[in-house]
Formats: sequence, structure tokens, C-alpha cells
Amino acid sequence: MVHLAHLLMKNYHGGHVAIRLALGGCANRPFFRIVVAYNKRARDSKYLEQVGCYDPLPNGHNEKLVGLNIERLKHWIGCGAHITKPVEKLLGLSGFFPLHPMTITNAERLRKRRALKAITASEEETPGD
Amino acid sequence: MLLPHPPQARSRRCPASYIRFRARGQVHGGAQPEVGGAAMLLALSRCWAPLSRRPLPLLVPARGRKSRHDPPAKSKAGRLKVPPPVDPAELLVVSERYRQYRLVLQALRMEFKQEVMRKHREERLDKESGAEAMEEHLKLMAWNSAENERLRKKREERLRREEEELQDRKLQGALNRAKLMEDFLKQKEREVLQLQEEARNFITPENLDERIKECLDNPRNYNFAIDKEGRVVKRSVPS
Repeated sequence: MVHLAHLLMKNYHGGHVAIRLALGGCANRPFFRIVVAYNKRARDSKYLEQVGCYDPLPNGHNEKLVGLNIERLKHWIGCGAHITKPVEKLLGLSGFFPLHPMTITNAERLRKRRALKAITASEEETPGD
Repeated sequence: MLLPHPPQARSRRCPASYIRFRARGQVHGGAQPEVGGAAMLLALSRCWAPLSRRPLPLLVPARGRKSRHDPPAKSKAGRLKVPPPVDPAELLVVSERYRQYRLVLQALRMEFKQEVMRKHREERLDKESGAEAMEEHLKLMAWNSAENERLRKKREERLRREEEELQDRKLQGALNRAKLMEDFLKQKEREVLQLQEEARNFITPENLDERIKECLDNPRNYNFAIDKEGRVVKRSVPS
């Protein structure tokens, strides 16, 4: 017997729900909303629910602000929503998820590069003296 | 020293790719060495504008002039695209980190899914057998019994009325029957009386002789005409 009732009642076929960043704001002033939307929808178009926001430009105290609705996030992840990499990184930094591997890797790489630059700078200084 | 050009005039004169190409090399618009050339001119002109009005440098190549169907440039003829170098030790470390990360994430997802299911189940149970469900049930039962009472009253009213009507009809029927019987009896009585009246003029064996004598003594002439109404035609009455 072919079970078609579920497929017939489904609103959206072959896609999935995603938690991702939707860009808003003005020219030279981005602002992201952390949004639960269907996968195939446009980035800024109709979403199911807004679950947070993220301001990429640092404020007066040199902080980048992120707002999260943890309750609803848990609900949607429990319902099987996919999460995009930037949102995963943000959640990792916030402490809700473990730190993303690439965050740690990039931080390590930056540290190594800075150390190398410091070494080369000090090497250039000592022959200069 | 050459006069610097204002930024608007420069952008109008120079094409976009030219600006982008230059921006890759010179990120800071700070003090440049006094070496002649268009580059220095551009740099000097860039120093002139305030920071908020300076164009932000684009550090990545973007398809500005060419579409995907245009052939690549001759300067890129011998270009060999090489993927970024991978450090195997770092790769190992990163893979291990990813593995652990994915484990933790999977566990979290399971946890959240269980929570959602638990919430749904509790909601369902509350809906079926909670305080509100109980009082709603009682309310509905009360309403049901009220309706039953109302309908019962109506039904009884209707039955009573029908009983009354039935009694009336029965009474009426009995009365009719009695009347009919009475009429019949009266009719019969009348007939009997009529007969009795007629019987007075009957010829009996005792009256026979007298009646014969009477008839013979009084001859009657029936020889007259009569019209449809029963009136006698006068001219035909015999004398």
C-alpha cells in the first residue's frame, strides 16, 4: 500500500529548515538577523521565526553584540533544523555550543603568524642596530 | 609638487577595474615616497579625502567587467591554479577537533529532540486529562443534562396535549354515536307511529263487511287529469 497522506499534507517538499543569518541594514552598515527559514527561500525573504540578531560592526565599547532566543533555538534544533557555519561559530563563541574547530584553528594560525611577524621584526631590528 | 585631484573627478575618469587593481597594492592612504607617476598621483589624491569618504579597498577579485562566457586574458595564459597548501599535522588536529565537535553536537541535538517530544507528550496528556479538561467535561455534562431536561419537558407537554386531544375526540365520537343512536331510535319510533296511524285505516276481517258496504255506497270518479305538480286540471273534473 502506498502511503501518500503525509506527502499530500506536506507544505514544502524536498527541503529542510535552516537557522541562518539574514542580512539587513543600510549601505556600509550590515546587520544580521538569526532567522529560522526554509532552505530554498531567498536569504532575506519570508522566514518562519526570528531567533536572534548579530551586529558585525563593533560598538562604542569595541563589542560586537549578539542576541539569542535560547528557548526557541532549542525547540527548532529539536525539530531537526540545520545550522549554517557562521551561526554555529556564533553559538560556539556564546557558549551554547562547544567552540567551532575552525574558530580555534584560525585563532591558532593568527597567533602563529603574529609570532612569526614579531620574530622577523625583531630580527630586522637587531641587524639594523 | 602636483596638485591632488578631488576623489569624485578621479572616480569619474578612471575605470573601476583600474581602481581595484591599484587598491590591491596600496591599502593605506598614508604618506607615500616622492616618486613620480600616476600611482603617486592617485595615492596623493586618496590621502586628500577624509577616512569616511575614502573608497574601501576590495581585497578579493570580483567579476566586474567579464561574464562567464568571455575568454581569460592573455596575461593569464600560463597561470597554474594551485590549491592552498595543507599542513598534515594541522589537518590531523583539525579532523580530530571536528570529530569531537560533531559528537557533542549530535548529543545536543538528541537532547533537544527528546525535550521537544517530552513537551508535546505533556501537552497532549494535559489536554486529555488535566484540571481544565475535567471542568470542561463537567460543564459539558451539565449542559447535556440541561438539554435533556428541556427536551423532556417539551416531550411531556406534547404528550399531554395529545392525550387531551385524544380524549376530546373520543368524547366527541361517543357523543356522535349516541346522537346517531338516538336519531335512529327516533326514526324507528316515528315509523312505528306512522304505521300505527296507518293501521287504524287498515281493512281487517272485522271491518271487511263495513268497508265493502262503504265503498259500494260511495262511488268515486277518478277520471280526471293531473299535471306534473300534482294539481288537478279543473276543466277535466267530472261533474
